Amino acid sequence: MTDALDAGSLHLTPAVGYTALLLVALSTVLIGIYGLRISRTTGDFYVASRTVRPWWNASAIGGEYLSAASFLGVAGLILISGVDALWFPIGYTAGYLMLLLFVAAPLRRSGAYTIPDFAQARLDSLLVRRVTSMLVVIVGWLYIVPQLHGAALTVQITTGLPSWVGPLAVVVVVCLSVVTGGMRSITFVQAFQYWLKLTALAVPAVFILFRLGAEGASITAGGSVFTTDLNTTAHASLYGTISLVIALLFGTLGLPHVLVRFYTNPDGASARWTTVLVLGLLSVFYLFPTVYGILGRIHTPELAAGGAADATVLLLPGRIFDGATGDLLSALVTAGAFAAFLSTTSGLVVSLAGVISQEFFQGSVTGFRRAALLSTIVPLVIALLTDTLALAGSVGSVFAFTASTICPLLLLGIWWRGLTDAGAIAGMAVGAILCGGAITATAALGAGAGDRWVWLGQPALWTVPAAFLTMVLVSRATAGRRPTTASRVLARLHTPEPR
Amino acid sequence: MTQPSEPPHRVRVTAPRTAARATGASFPVAREMAEQSELGQLFVASLIRSQLRLALVVAGGFLVILMGIPVLLAVFPDIESMTVLTVPLPWLILGLGVYPLVIGCAILYVRSASRNERRFQDLVDDD
Repeated sequence: MTDALDAGSLHLTPAVGYTALLLVALSTVLIGIYGLRISRTTGDFYVASRTVRPWWNASAIGGEYLSAASFLGVAGLILISGVDALWFPIGYTAGYLMLLLFVAAPLRRSGAYTIPDFAQARLDSLLVRRVTSMLVVIVGWLYIVPQLHGAALTVQITTGLPSWVGPLAVVVVVCLSVVTGGMRSITFVQAFQYWLKLTALAVPAVFILFRLGAEGASITAGGSVFTTDLNTTAHASLYGTISLVIALLFGTLGLPHVLVRFYTNPDGASARWTTVLVLGLLSVFYLFPTVYGILGRIHTPELAAGGAADATVLLLPGRIFDGATGDLLSALVTAGAFAAFLSTTSGLVVSLAGVISQEFFQGSVTGFRRAALLSTIVPLVIALLTDTLALAGSVGSVFAFTASTICPLLLLGIWWRGLTDAGAIAGMAVGAILCGGAITATAALGAGAGDRWVWLGQPALWTVPAAFLTMVLVSRATAGRRPTTASRVLARLHTPEPR
Repeated sequence: MTQPSEPPHRVRVTAPRTAARATGASFPVAREMAEQSELGQLFVASLIRSQLRLALVVAGGFLVILMGIPVLLAVFPDIESMTVLTVPLPWLILGLGVYPLVIGCAILYVRSASRNERRFQDLVDDD
């Protein structure tokens, strides 16, 4: 990857990059301060949160969820693997459908703020809480790493600075804002980030399409953009596609930063409508990375060969427009990309720090700050030690891991009164070992492993059922350990709030 | 709620490490009844069953359609050469067509789930 980037021709004017990055950091901090004031004058945090309308809430969920993988990774993947890449945005979006069907309203009614809270309340066991906390922290760390890789790529391309600067900058901004409390789960900041990201992709895309249309050129080059000759990867197998979709669909509902957002809905019914709005917002958003990916197949094809496909979104506007217009549009997409790393990372850090501080620092304020540092430094070290993989792909394996561990716990915990603490732990352990093992083995085999190993590269199709099966069988075998509160908790999860 | 004249005091928000918060909150009479009386438990069990059935039906239908797409493409590779305005059909279906399906399923589900809950509330209120 660095070879392609060192060529120099890929760099944008550094001033453009610096301006965009500074503007995003500044506006995030400013809106954080403004939002903090709003949340203080409205009373305490909970009351402020509970009056949040579904529309704001949905924007905030979208803002936190659309990460580096969505903003840069989807277009990059379309560039190298064509139509197969379209499964990623479908999976990221439809994951929220599964969340709506099985989790949204019951989880809101559970009163749990984090997944470990829910696990403990449902199964009445401190050990389950510990295990769940550990898994949540692992998932969060693994999910932050691709964000930092995306930041490395963006900063390197837009400013020409070495690749460690990007991750460090994101970590410093996130740490500062989380530690000073400026970004404390404030719906306002995250909602702003959604609209910033959408604008940052939509405006340049519209400009580019108009320009190409005005030049009379066929936008799809007479359909030749779609030929598989442009792909640099092999066509995905049927198994690979289905396994990937299962991972994305069922991984979404276990992501630690997603659950926290649902707690700011006033009741279960509005949690449902918020999710429907999120689906609309995500559907609109994903149109644009798709457009960039398709256009990139004609206008920036050398990025695929150079291994820098994820830079498509950043470089495309500069390829179509020269001079000031090109610089402005490039600055806009750079700002959007930086917003993506910042919002997802800070959402993850806030929820991770909450879990870590409760688990190890007795939930004090100083503990929260130490936990915030801890939850950023570990992924920073991992990100600096590892090479940038394709962003959408590496996020995909985090989804597979979540789908094999936390998803069965949530689904069986919410819908089956027979779940026991022993069953939950056994199921999560089996899922974590199988899926974690498959991911590690794939990394060890390297990229050229070939079709024979696709069952290891996309493990969800067998690790998710294995985790579910273990959880059910062990729970059956230990039926005596069913918590006595199970019926009461289930009734609370599913009965509607009073009219 | 606090009086509008006096400034609201700050409340420290914590998530305690116990299940107390989840089970100790006060709940409306109808809900308590539903949880404790035998008839109420029956109502709750039936509500959970119907909500689960609904969720499984919608998820199942969606997954069958979604998984049907790659299966159809694998069985009939000729579909890939069909185009609308130079765009091949698979690109159109996966890039645009799936999203209205997702949103349609979501709205269908929310309507039906709310209807199940209304029916439950009517039962409990009558009881």
